[in-house]
Order: sequence, then C-alpha cells, then structure tokens
Amino acid sequence: MHDVLLWTALAFYGVGLVLLIPVVVRRRPSLSPASLGALGFGLLAHGGALLAETAKLHRLPIIDVRSALSSYAFLVTLAFFFVYLRYRITSLGLFMLPLVFVLTLIGTFHAERTLDSSSLRSGWLLVHISSTILGYTGFFLTFVAALMYLLQERQLKSKKPRGFYYRLPSLEVCDELYYRSLLFGFPLMTLGMLMGFIAALRTWRGPWGLDPKILASLVTWLIYLVLFSTRVSGGWRGRRAAYVAIFGFATMMVTFLGASLLSGPHGYFPTLRQLP
Amino acid sequence: MNLNLLGINHRTAPVEVRERMNIPVERLGDAVSDLVHREGIREGLILSTCNRIEVVVSAEDNLEAEPILQQFLAEHHHCELAPFQRFFYRRQQQEVVSHLFRVASSLDSMILGEPQILGQMKQAYTLARQAGGLNGTLNEIVTQAFAVARRVRRETALGSAAVSVSYAAVELAKKIFGSLEGKTIFVIGAGKMSELAAKHLLRSGASAIFVSNRTYDRAVELAQAFHGQAVPFEQLFDTINKADIVISSTGAPHFVVRKEQAEHLLAARKNRPVFFVDIAVPRDIDPAVNELDNAFVYDIDDLEQVVEANKKQREREAVWAEEIVRQEVQRMMKRLASHEVVPTIRALEERLDHIREGELERYRGSLASLSPEQRQAVEALTRGILNKILHGPVTELKSRAGEPGQGSLVQLIHKIFGL
Repeated sequence: MHDVLLWTALAFYGVGLVLLIPVVVRRRPSLSPASLGALGFGLLAHGGALLAETAKLHRLPIIDVRSALSSYAFLVTLAFFFVYLRYRITSLGLFMLPLVFVLTLIGTFHAERTLDSSSLRSGWLLVHISSTILGYTGFFLTFVAALMYLLQERQLKSKKPRGFYYRLPSLEVCDELYYRSLLFGFPLMTLGMLMGFIAALRTWRGPWGLDPKILASLVTWLIYLVLFSTRVSGGWRGRRAAYVAIFGFATMMVTFLGASLLSGPHGYFPTLRQLP
Repeated sequence: MNLNLLGINHRTAPVEVRERMNIPVERLGDAVSDLVHREGIREGLILSTCNRIEVVVSAEDNLEAEPILQQFLAEHHHCELAPFQRFFYRRQQQEVVSHLFRVASSLDSMILGEPQILGQMKQAYTLARQAGGLNGTLNEIVTQAFAVARRVRRETALGSAAVSVSYAAVELAKKIFGSLEGKTIFVIGAGKMSELAAKHLLRSGASAIFVSNRTYDRAVELAQAFHGQAVPFEQLFDTINKADIVISSTGAPHFVVRKEQAEHLLAARKNRPVFFVDIAVPRDIDPAVNELDNAFVYDIDDLEQVVEANKKQREREAVWAEEIVRQEVQRMMKRLASHEVVPTIRALEERLDHIREGELERYRGSLASLSPEQRQAVEALTRGILNKILHGPVTELKSRAGEPGQGSLVQLIHKIFGL
C-alpha cells in the first residue's frame, strides 16, 4: 500500500516538475494548473503513503533514514505550496522540486535495517526528531531563498540582465522568504536540539557528546544561530549572509544524512557502540 | 467578404506627411459617417494616431474599393493625393485581418509592445460604432483584434520589460525592493532629468521624497511640486540614510557620494539596500560604491544597457506573438468563411419548404376529407421527408465551412437546387 502510494507520488512529482520547465523558460506569470495539479496529487499520494506507514508501524515514519527523508520531502513540498500561494514565485519550483524528487526516490528504496527498540518510542525522542525535521524544512527554504537572492543580486550588480533577471523574484521577496523561513526553522531546530539533549541524558551513558552526528548538529545549529541573531538584530543581510546560509544548508544535509552513516549511538546504523 | 485598407505609418511616411493626413479625434465620427455613406461601402473604421493613419472598409462583394478610399481621403483633406501615393500601403482580404491583429497587439508599433495603441484603436472603434460604421464583418474582426491583443499580452512578455531609461530605473527599483510602497526617494540636484525619474517612481508607488540642491530655492520648488521635503545641501548626509532610492544629477565635476560615505549610509540603514540612479555626467556616485554589499549603482550607460537588453527580450517575445497572431488569423478566416454558408443553407431550406407547401396546396382538395389527426400526420410526413433530404447537403455545407472546397460546394448546391 505504502509502496504503491509512494511510487504514485513520485510519478506525479516527476510530471509536475517536467511541466514546470516551459513555464519558467517561457516566462509565464504563473504555474500552469496542470503543473500545480500534478504536484498537488503527488503531495496527496505522498501524504497517504506516510499515513499508511504510520498505521503499519504504529509510530511516525521518521526513525529510519529512508522514511525520515520521505517525510522531509513531503514537508518540503507542502512548504513549496504555502510559499508559492503566498509569493507566486514561478521559478521556486525549479529550485525545490528536483531535491524533493530525489529524496522521495530514496524513500522508495527498501529499508535495510530498521531500528526498533523501546527507547525509540519515547516521547522526547519523537518530539526531538519531528521538531528537527520541521526545522530542516524551514532551512531548506532559507537555502532556496539565499540561492535565488544571490543569483538575482549577481545579475543586478553586473548590470547586464540575462535570463535569470527576468525570472527571479525581487531581492526583497527573496529576503523576506529568507527571514521568515529562519524565524520558522531556527526555533524548531533549537527545540529539537533541546529535546534531543534531554533524551540523550536520560538514555545514554558515556561520552555521547563526541558522537559525530551530535557534533555535526551542534555546528549546524551554531551557524544558524549566527544567521538568526544577526538577521533579527538587523545587521547582517545581503550577499554575505546568503553565502553563509548556503554553507549552513550544506552542513545541515551532512548532519541529516552523512553523520548518520558514521555515528555510533545516534546513528541509524549503529556500528561499533551498542545501544544501551 | 471584401476588406480593404489604405494607410501610412511611421515607417512609410515622414511626420510632415502624417501631419497632413491626420484626422483629429473630434472629426473622426463624422469622417466615418461620410465614409460609410459612400456607394458600395458597408462598414468603415479610421485609425488616426501620431504614428499611423489607416482607413479600413468592408465593401460590397466584387467592388473595387481602393479608389473610393482615395477619393474619401482627398475630399476630406481638400487636397490631391497624387504627391502622397508613394507613402501609402494597401491591404486586402486576409491581409487586412492580419494587419489589424498585429497593430492591436502592438507588433507594428514603433516601440514593440507599447500599450497606447490598443487604447487608440478602442477609441477609434467606439467612434466608428457610434457613427454607425461597424455592424457586420468588420465589427467582428476589430472586436476579435482586441481579444487577440489581450491574448498576446497574457501569453507573452511582449510589453513587460522597460524600454525607456526612466521606466528602466523603476523596473530595477522593483527588482530590488519588490514593491515601491513606502519607499523613500532622495533627489540630489533638482534638474529636469531627476524630476522625470522621480515622477515615475512616485507614480509607481514610492511615498516620500527629499530634494537637495546647491541652490536651496530650487530644491524647495521641486519638493513642493512633489509634496516632499527640501534639504539644504550641507545637511545632505544627515538625511540621506532615510532614502531607499537616490537619484543624482548635479553638475558637480567630482563625486558627490564617495565609497566611505556610502558605507556610513549603509551602516546607518542597518544594511537595508540602497539603489543609486546616477544620471549625471560627469558621474556623481563613485562607481566603487557598487562593490558594497546591498548598494546598487546604475549610471546612465547602465540604464541604456538595460533598455537594450529589454528591447532584445521584446524582439524574442515578438516571435511568439507573431505565431499567436498567425493562429488567430486562421481561426478568424475560417469563422468568416463559415458565415458564407449560412445564407446558402437558409436559401435551400426555404426552397424545399416552398416546394412542400406548393404540393400540399395542390392536393388540398383531396386532403380535405381527412380528419385533423390525419392532416397533421401528412404535415409531419412531408416535413420529415424534407428534413431527411436536407440533412445531407446541410451537414456537408457545415463541415466544409472554411475549407478550400467550400466555394465549389456552395456553387454546386445553388446550381442543383436552383437557388
């Protein structure tokens, strides 16, 4: 059931993405109903897939890498709809949806080893993971906004308007998206970190603070702390902040995916250490 | 259908000739009225702008309409047309449809995609209609021309990007600030050019304006005109951090805003972006300011460059627009052609019904002995036969409408049924 729905979602995402291209190339003022419809159906199917998995496993589908990525892709697509309806940025899809497609594709791979110990069902842990994933969704928007800002800014500075100039939103809109997504993502990630901290204290012994994933999360969190505080206090905006936001997203993805492969007690694939 | 157009435009005739041939708006209604009262002219439209004068008519079939148009113009302007012949262009039938669609979509304008022509055409349309000059084929074509113009505007970016320096400045400001609502303008150097740029920006939504000039009185003058505030030149850098957009056009031989000053300005604004429009020669704003994060400096050459790029963009869009017009012309011609079969169908129906009535009349005597129900049955029977016979030719006519074979089919049916 879940697989069927997920493949359906993937197919619709693919169609929606392909239909997006002529809109951006031809500089139409808004996405075609066909494109939006395809993405909408994809979103519904994807949501259905996640619900099916929740029902089957009796827990949220966020604990193993595969389903975490799938949930993440779902949230990003949902965020896309909210942002598109609010700002009508037609090129937004081209930035966001390829990643969504890839993540959903990964989601269709079969899980190799799912962890399922009682400790994983603790409330703290679920809040930790959900909060962090929601925070990451916000940060993806921050990344996209920063990217669009940089592209547009470069066009404006060069004074030779080329393709992008006509298709990207104004710097102001990019900045607003950047700011709002930071306001959304950072508190959620902070909450997630706190929950994780508490859960770790209650569950693990030993120097879990040196676990690669936890260290990576800390680095990510610090970067976004800098971005958040400097932007809110009003000082840091523009090109340099955008570069840092892109770097922050890279570290975030490393935290999300990469460190999991290396991490011990925190990892989705426990290697040397054992879970208590 | 017999469409004819005679006209001159900015490409074929110099301004003196266009002036001579121009028909002012007040006289347009009467002119159309005069035109359509001429022998053989069914409908007429006159378009008279500073860049084109065109006379379009729908005349009776097989009538040579051009001499009538020539005579009309000659009489209206009280002059001989001979010396002006080489400036005129002519269009006929389908070319008229194509021309009207292109003109309405501003594909024939001096500046591609300019928005005025549609309004001018609509005005010409209203006046012609009021004068009773549009009530058939031409009316249908012009109305459709407006729809085509709307479609071109909707589906292409033909009219979007700015193609004049002051509009380019507004467009750039919008690319930086999104909306101009609540944004503040600062004018340094109160001259004609800066006044024009400020006017466009204010009209596009900017709200507050400061004006500073070496001569304070001139600054006050301009500030009052825009309901803004004058700032003494010495206090320039105290107030300038309030500005989102700075328009500079002083006659100063040196830079008025240097890089360090711009840095202070940005810091005071907490790095909210600033857009410098430097229309002075020699330049007022140090170009190095453009290197600063959140500061954007465009001098007069840069603005021209944007305009050039936008013009090329419009030319690319024009290719799509021409394709849309081509499609629409084809659709229109099909529609007009299908109108031609309607009279034939009607004539056929009438002819056959006439025969039916005639036969019924002939046998009235014999039918008199029938009961009312039986008489009704006979009516229905004869009508039924008629409809079944009609079905074939009518379907064929309708399906051939607008196709190449239509003309010969219509002729054939006229011949066979003696219409």
